[in-house]
Amino acid sequence: MISVQKLSYVYSPKTPFMSQALFNVDLEIEEGDFFGIIGGTGAGKSTLVSHFNALTRVQKKSGTVIVDGIDLSSKKINVKSVRERVGMVFQYPEHQLFDDTVEKDVMFGPKNLGLSPDEQRARAREAIELVGLNYNEIKDRSPFELSGGQKRRVALAGVIAMKPKILVLDEPTAGLDPVGKRAVMELIVKIKTMCPTVVMISHNMDEVASYCNKIAVMRRGEVVGVYTPRELFGSERVISSCGVRLPLVTEIASKLACSGLNVDPSITDEDELIEALVALKGGSHA
Amino acid sequence: MRDMTFGQYYPAKSIVHRADPRFKLIILLLYIVMTMFCESFVSFGLLSFFVIITVILSRVPPLKVLKSLRLVLVIVLITTVLMMVFYTEEGEAALAEWGIFHIYLGGIYASVKLAWRLMLLVTMPTLLTLTSTPTELCDGLESLMSPLKKLRFPVHELALIMSIALRLIPTLVEETDKITSAQKARGAAFESRNPFKKIKAMIPVLIPLFVSSFRRADELADAMDSRCYRGANGRTRMKSLKFHFGDVVALLIWCVIFVAILFLKYNWLGWAFITAVGL
Amino acid sequence: MPFLDIKSVDYAYNSGDDEYIQALRSVSLSIERGEFVALVGCNGSGKSTLARLCNGLILPDRGYVTVDGMSTSDKKSLYDIRKRIGVVFQNPDNQMVTSIVEDDVAFGPENLGLPPDEIRARVDWALNCVDMSAYAKSGPLRLSGGQKQRVAIAGVLALKPQMMILDEATGMLDPDGRAEVMRVVEKLNREENMAVLMITHFMEEAARADRIIILDHGRVVADGDKKLFETPDVFTRAGLDLPISVRLAQKLRARGLDVGCPIDIDSFVSSALSALEVQRGEVKSDEEKNSNGGGEV
Repeated sequence: MISVQKLSYVYSPKTPFMSQALFNVDLEIEEGDFFGIIGGTGAGKSTLVSHFNALTRVQKKSGTVIVDGIDLSSKKINVKSVRERVGMVFQYPEHQLFDDTVEKDVMFGPKNLGLSPDEQRARAREAIELVGLNYNEIKDRSPFELSGGQKRRVALAGVIAMKPKILVLDEPTAGLDPVGKRAVMELIVKIKTMCPTVVMISHNMDEVASYCNKIAVMRRGEVVGVYTPRELFGSERVISSCGVRLPLVTEIASKLACSGLNVDPSITDEDELIEALVALKGGSHA
Repeated sequence: MRDMTFGQYYPAKSIVHRADPRFKLIILLLYIVMTMFCESFVSFGLLSFFVIITVILSRVPPLKVLKSLRLVLVIVLITTVLMMVFYTEEGEAALAEWGIFHIYLGGIYASVKLAWRLMLLVTMPTLLTLTSTPTELCDGLESLMSPLKKLRFPVHELALIMSIALRLIPTLVEETDKITSAQKARGAAFESRNPFKKIKAMIPVLIPLFVSSFRRADELADAMDSRCYRGANGRTRMKSLKFHFGDVVALLIWCVIFVAILFLKYNWLGWAFITAVGL
Repeated sequence: MPFLDIKSVDYAYNSGDDEYIQALRSVSLSIERGEFVALVGCNGSGKSTLARLCNGLILPDRGYVTVDGMSTSDKKSLYDIRKRIGVVFQNPDNQMVTSIVEDDVAFGPENLGLPPDEIRARVDWALNCVDMSAYAKSGPLRLSGGQKQRVAIAGVLALKPQMMILDEATGMLDPDGRAEVMRVVEKLNREENMAVLMITHFMEEAARADRIIILDHGRVVADGDKKLFETPDVFTRAGLDLPISVRLAQKLRARGLDVGCPIDIDSFVSSALSALEVQRGEVKSDEEKNSNGGGEV
């Protein structure tokens, strides 16, 4: 779906002020992936994903980015069609709401795609319902008077209404309370049935561990590696060299394992840890 | 946008950093007047020489100064080129000619001087913001304007507003970038050439920006209240302004430069020479 | 008399169109000097409203709030109240008044009208407390979220308050930033005997406080020490999560493995270890008995 080869990116090139944000990044994101990208501030995560919908253009001789068959490194690309395919949800997306009603705000994307007013409205309705809001109740309300959680859902709907094939999310749960976080993550899982490829930047290792099937670790503009959650959080080498935090479950599992208990230190799922501990108890009886 | 240096302080230990902001502001004013009086290459050279000395004394890396001049540089370049190609001089032969474009020797002189003047004009204010914290500048202005307090002019409030504005400009620029990207991702087109369409296209950026500015203002007001702010009454400052001998010397030096430039412009030296010879 | 005393406070705010939303309903609680209290509740439970009541940014519709014996409804004492209670807010970008760290920290003491030397001393001390002395001359753009919040804490600290309220001060930070802020807050409570009211929805953070108050739909539904986690229902009923250690312990108990009620990861690990060890021990002694018994037979 997304194929990145030898991608480099330099801010303010050919001036004394240049600074390199990406170095030779290679990445393959396949259809159906729930792809996590982690790394500290300044690791280049945002610069990388902003290439996916041509917000940032591939620089000359700086590698290739191919998204759903479109070569974004070629000179002439149809930006509109790229942005239709790749929906992007920024951090605190509720800050981009602007129209006087929820429905109009959600219709903004479809309108920019040049769809007919009926189609725009149908898209808005579908998207608002998909994010779990009551269309008739909310469509004429001002987005500014909604609660924080509702605003974020409306903002998500605004992106989904464009029916992207790929959804890119930057810290979708930032600033929410635990219940809100879980609700948004479950919502993303639901959206994924319609938009099968999801790319998510996150600082929250518990979320990455429980939702992503592949995780790219970035550091200082490079992709250190792409792992499954088990590989990543079980690999002491990557963890310590990249300053990756462990998910809390894994932290407990590895501490238990360190103390000599026969538990897999790379467990990333709570129930799995419970089973392992119960089995140990049973095992000691046997 | 992300490299915008305006209003960004470059911390260093130098005599320029240590100087009293009031004196720096007065010197800046004097300097701006001076650039208006510069006409000959000699006076430009003289002024540039002292600007360079000041940059060196400030210990701000020259690159850093250039970096903050980058945006201006583009404007200067465009103006210069336009001036050069559209300059006409009656009765002089053009050096080169392409259609409506002519290049005259006088045009080259005039445009180089214009560029030089503009560069001089922006370098010192930039250096001022690089070597003085916004607080210092606001305190300096407040102190210079304090006679106005007697006329019930809200000097303190004005200085505070300025300080907050300087603090928030970079944040708002960053935010504008973010919102613009977010709307572009939703297919918004800002590239239209039609100015009306362009303004209409900006609405999805401007409204969120207003909303967030109001929110910021509210939150900032709460934070200030919580930290015991109650206006200028009974307020003291950590860094009280004190001028030193050096500040006076610096001011005197710049006054001398001013006089020298006046001499060069009005050819006072020449008159003096003629008078002396005549005597 | 308690340092902060909130007595049967009601508060409603106008949500536009003259619709009033009852944010707090007969809330009573008091906090003593030096206490470390966490106030938890899900979004819309009235947590932040409570914070703003404490230093008189808003006034109660009914009931009263007193700080060190002074009522927030008395306009003349607001200044003295705010000297005693510092508040750190959620958004790290909206609390700095000036563009230079040390000038911002000086803002509070300058408002107090202190002499310049004293302000300088307080600024240096406050920045040192939050471990930000190295950034005294930097601007906000070069700081991370956690660093900005530490500057905000220093700005409050420079007023030398006796209590600090953190209104979801870690809510917008990444895990590293959260850890930085928690470390600083715990240190202040321990070393400066600063009373702390920490408003949060991160239960792992709340579990580190000495006392936990749960707010649900504007009412205080629980107020107690760490033993509260032994009755997890009060948390879940208020729409809250449990710290992972408590959650795991609960699940294990349901499966017949009792590890008590560990409130952090380390105590979970040690009690899980000892529970399993003990059971092994018991099993062993059973086996020994069995083998002995077998021998007799």
